[in-house]
Amino acid sequence: MYIIVVGGGIVGYGLALELQRVSDTEVTIVELSASRASQLRDELGEMVVHGDGSEIAFLERVGARRADMVIAVTADDGANLVACQVAKHWFGVARTVARVNDPRNEALFLKLGITSTVSAAGAVMAQIETSLPQHTLVPLMALQSAGLKVMDMRVQDGATVAGHALRDLKFPTGVLIAVVVGPNGARVPDGDTVLTPGDEIIAVIPHEAEHLVRAMVTVNDGM
Amino acid sequence: MRVVIMGCGRVGAGLAQQLATEAHEVTIIDTNAFAFQRLLPEFVGKRLVGSGTDDRTLIDAGIEHADCFIALASGDNRNILASEKAKEVYGVKTVVTRVRDPLRSEMFGRLGLQTFSPTKFGIDLAHQALVTAAGGQ
Repeated sequence: MYIIVVGGGIVGYGLALELQRVSDTEVTIVELSASRASQLRDELGEMVVHGDGSEIAFLERVGARRADMVIAVTADDGANLVACQVAKHWFGVARTVARVNDPRNEALFLKLGITSTVSAAGAVMAQIETSLPQHTLVPLMALQSAGLKVMDMRVQDGATVAGHALRDLKFPTGVLIAVVVGPNGARVPDGDTVLTPGDEIIAVIPHEAEHLVRAMVTVNDGM
Repeated sequence: MRVVIMGCGRVGAGLAQQLATEAHEVTIIDTNAFAFQRLLPEFVGKRLVGSGTDDRTLIDAGIEHADCFIALASGDNRNILASEKAKEVYGVKTVVTRVRDPLRSEMFGRLGLQTFSPTKFGIDLAHQALVTAAGGQ
């Protein structure tokens, strides 16, 4: 797989370190500042290229045509949006991921066809939600095109679903309980699986069913 | 009509003044208040310091009721982001975007933005002047 990362700031650098460890993955980091690029090059080597990741001619040179994914993580939302749109529409890159610095831009980016967005605010929120003792639903991944979300939920004491076998529970249509993690580890549930308070569930949920599922798994919706 | 102009450079300032003398309601935005010195004292439109990619600035500029938005800031990417926002989020009917890079201008034009590239005009004019002067040698 070939991945182009646009932006060699803290986020791009961290991402490069992670991606380097993934086998069969080729990564190019594009950095606009010459001094930052040469600094990164000293540490990461040939994978770092100095250039403008929203410039069509330059992206062509770093092989955007054969890229499987473009991830734009600069501090400039305009540059991230344009890099992803150019990748998608000019070079036909299948997956584009944009960092959103201003959370208000997120909906627009998705509307314009960016595959997914990452926002610091969103990541921090997810982190906070997981560390709250009564944490219930944490979105793990959004499957935009299908209108689905992969969620991590914890069954609360006294929740509607607690103490019941899956076959007796009426989850909204389209909800798929994929994995149940209890004290004895993870298991793929069947109809006989009884949900116990404290169990962690990983489920695929249609967007519109999220609040219904939340109501079934938690005691009171307010956090 | 109500027009919001992003960027008070020579083009932005000139356009703002022209539209204002034609009795249009003009608001001009620039990140730097210093840029407004390019406007003649008799300019009657509204001046607003802020970024055209920022929702609060756009709302303060009256984007929600604007008939036209034109992006003339120095950065192509910012112009594109602001224009897509004006069009998709605020539903502005007429959105015009300056994109200096001819390739990006062409691509975003195909995606539905009304773009123009002064670089492209410059190349064409220079080419024409050169070929004419050389007289078919």
